[in-house]
Amino acid sequence: MKSKKLSIIKIIIFFFLIFINYNSIAKSSTYSEEQTINITKNLRCLICQGQTIHESNSDFAESMKKFIKSELENGKTNEEIFSSLVEKYGQWIVYDPGISKNTFLLWTLPLLLFLIGGAIIVKKIFKKI
Amino acid sequence: MIISQLGYYSLIFGLLTSIFIFFNSSIQLKKNSPIISDKITGLIGFQFFFVFISFISLIYSFVISDFSNETVYNNSHTTKPLFYKITGTWGNHEGSLLLWLLVLSGVLLGFIIKSKNEPSNFRLLTTLLHQIIVIGFFVFVLKTSNPFNEIFPVQTEGLGLNPILQDPILGIHPPILYLGYVGTSIIFSAALASMISNYVNKSWAKNIKFWILFSWIFLTGGILLGSIWAYYELGWGGFWFWDPVENVSLMPWLSLTALLHCIVTLEKRELFKKWTIILCIITFALSMVGTFLVRSGILNSVHTFANDPSRGIYILTFLLVLVLLSFVIFVIYENKNFTQKSEIFVLSKETAVLINNWFILYFLSVVLIGTIYPIFLDVILDEQISVGPPFYNKLILPFLIPFVLFMSIGPSMKWIKTNFKIGAKSFFVIVFTLVLSFFTVNFIGEKNVFILLLFIGFFYLFLKSLDQLREKTKNFAQIFSHTGFSLLLISILLNSFSSKEIVKNIQVGESFILKNEKIIFKKIAIEKEKNYESIVGFFEILDDKNRIINLQPEIRIYNEPEMTTSEASIKTTLFKDRFITINIIKDQNFFNIRYQHKPFMIWIWISTLIIIMGGMFAIFRKNKEVNI
Repeated sequence: MKSKKLSIIKIIIFFFLIFINYNSIAKSSTYSEEQTINITKNLRCLICQGQTIHESNSDFAESMKKFIKSELENGKTNEEIFSSLVEKYGQWIVYDPGISKNTFLLWTLPLLLFLIGGAIIVKKIFKKI
Repeated sequence: MIISQLGYYSLIFGLLTSIFIFFNSSIQLKKNSPIISDKITGLIGFQFFFVFISFISLIYSFVISDFSNETVYNNSHTTKPLFYKITGTWGNHEGSLLLWLLVLSGVLLGFIIKSKNEPSNFRLLTTLLHQIIVIGFFVFVLKTSNPFNEIFPVQTEGLGLNPILQDPILGIHPPILYLGYVGTSIIFSAALASMISNYVNKSWAKNIKFWILFSWIFLTGGILLGSIWAYYELGWGGFWFWDPVENVSLMPWLSLTALLHCIVTLEKRELFKKWTIILCIITFALSMVGTFLVRSGILNSVHTFANDPSRGIYILTFLLVLVLLSFVIFVIYENKNFTQKSEIFVLSKETAVLINNWFILYFLSVVLIGTIYPIFLDVILDEQISVGPPFYNKLILPFLIPFVLFMSIGPSMKWIKTNFKIGAKSFFVIVFTLVLSFFTVNFIGEKNVFILLLFIGFFYLFLKSLDQLREKTKNFAQIFSHTGFSLLLISILLNSFSSKEIVKNIQVGESFILKNEKIIFKKIAIEKEKNYESIVGFFEILDDKNRIINLQPEIRIYNEPEMTTSEASIKTTLFKDRFITINIIKDQNFFNIRYQHKPFMIWIWISTLIIIMGGMFAIFRKNKEVNI
C-alpha cells in the first residue's frame, strides 16, 4: 500500500517538473500571421457595430490590418502598436481597457467584492453559536 | 385596421382587469379565507386572455401586412416570407414588449394554477405583488411603446425587417429567452409574498423551485439559440463576444444558477433564508436592468439614450420603485422570518453551496461591472472605453480553476456533516486527469502552465462528474448538468486554442491551402429569391485524405431594406466544423474568402443541451424525494 502511494507521489512530482519546464520555453520573436490576428482581434472597428478589426471587412478595418502588418514588419512590438493606436484614436479602440486612473475601480471592484464575500462566508462558518 | 383596434382595446381591458384582481384579492385577503375563489383565478385567466388577443392581433396585422399600423410599417414588408412576417412581430421594440407582457401575465396564471395546495394568503399576496409589475408594464406599453399606433395616410409598403434577423433560429430565440427572462418575475413576487405571509420555509422552497428551474431552463435555451445564431449568421465563427447585449442575459442566468443551489439548501435544511430572498430579488432586478439597458438604447451609445429618454427613464424609475418596495418589505418582515440560526460545519454540503454562491456572485459582479462601468465613465467623465474579452478572461479564467474543483467535490458532500474518505479511486481520477490534461495541452501545442491548469480543472470536473453519475445516491439531474458544464468548458477551451483560419482575396478558379487542406474556388452563381438576390460561391475542399467537401457560402443582397449580408457555409463533423464565408471586394474581380477550422463546435451546443436536460430531469422527477 505504501509503495503504491509513493509511486503516485512520484507521478505528481514528474508532472510538477514538466510544469516548470513549460515556463522556460522561450517565445519566438519573429512576427507571424497569428500575431497580426491577435492584435486585430483586440481592436474595435470604429465604424462598425460591435465588431473587431479582425472580423470586419470594412475599408477602415482593411486599412488597419495593412497598417498593423507593416508596423510588425518594422519590428514594432504589440505594446508599441497598441499604445500608438490609443494615442491616435483613444481608449475606445482597444478591447482591453488596461489599468489606468479611470479603470482602476473597474478592475478592483469585483476583486474587492470577492474578498468581502469570502469574509462573510468564513464568518458564517466559523462563528460559534 | 379593425384588428389593430381590437389589439389596442384588448390591452386596455387587460389593464382594467388588474383593478378587479386587485380589488377582489384585497377583500379575500382581509377575509382570511383558506381557499381563494375561482373568481380570482378566472380574472387572472381573463387578463392573460386579453393580452393574448392583443398579441394575436399584432401577429395578424403583420401577417396581412396592415401598413396602417406603425409597428408593422416600420418592421415588415409584403415580400417577406410568412414565417418572418410572424417572427417580425417580436423583432422590434413594441412587439417584444407585448411579448414581455404576455409572458408576465402567463406566468401568474401558471403560478395560480400550480400553487393550489399552498396557503391562500401567500397566493393572494403573490397575485397582488405581481399585479404591480403587470400594471407597470401595461402602462409602459400603452404610454411609450404602443404597438397599435396608426399612421395616416396609410402606406402601401413597409420598411422591412433587418435581414440579419430573418433567420429561423432568431425567430424563436426571443420567445424562449423571454420565458426565462420574464419567468423570474414570479420568483420575485412569490419571494416577497412569502416574507409577508411568513411562509419562507421548506414547502415554499419546494414549490418555488419549479419556477426557478423553469426560468433557468428557458434562459439557458434562449442564450444557446442566440449563440448558435451569432455563430453562423454574423460570419466570423465566434459564438460569444462579451457584448453588452449578451451580458445582460448572462447576468440573470448566473443569479438564477446561484439561486437554484440555494433553494435546495432551504428546501432540505431551512438555511440561508435571507440570502435566498435577496437572490430572488436580485434575479428579477437583473432582468429589469437588462430590459432597461437593451430597450433604452443606452448600450449603443449614451447619446442615443439622450435622443429618446422616455422609455429608458420609465423602466429605470419603475425598477427603482420595485427595488425600493422589496427593500421596505424586506426590512419590515426581516425579524419575523429569519430568527432561526443553526450551525454550519466546514465539511458539509451547506458550505459547498455557500462557496458555489460566492464564486457565482463574483462572476456576476465581473459581468455587471464590466457592462455598466463604461456607461458611467462616459456619463460622468465623458471618457469612452471598451471592455471586451481581455477584461473578462483575466478576471474570470483564474477563478474558474478553484471554482470547478469545488464543483467537483460539492456533490460528494453530505448535508450537515461529511466524513471525507480519500480512496484509491480518487487517486486514480487525479492521475487520469493529469495524464489527460498533459496530453491535450501537448496535442494543441499550447505549452503554458495556466492553460494546463485550466485543463486539469475542467477534466477533473468532467471525470469526477462521470464517476458521480454512476452512484445511485447522488442527484442524477444535478450531476448530469455538471457533466454538461464540464464538457462545455473543455469544448470552449479546445475550440479557442485550436481554431485555425485563413483569409484570402482570390478570383474564381484559384485555390489556397490551410493545414493539409486545399480550398478551390470553383465557380460563382447568381440566384434570385423572393426578397433577396444571392451570389453563391461554390467551393471544393480537398482534405488530407483527398475527400471532397462542398461548401456554398452566399452573399445576399436584400432589397427591403437594402442591405448585404454574408451567409456562412458550414460543414459540421464530430471533431471540427469547416466554416467558410465570402465577401465582395468593391470594384474588383476578387472575393474576400475567410476559411476556418472550428474544432469541437458541435460539442459546445451538445454540452449546453446536456445542461438544459439536467434541469428538465430535475423538474420531471420533483415528486420523487431524493437527497441532492
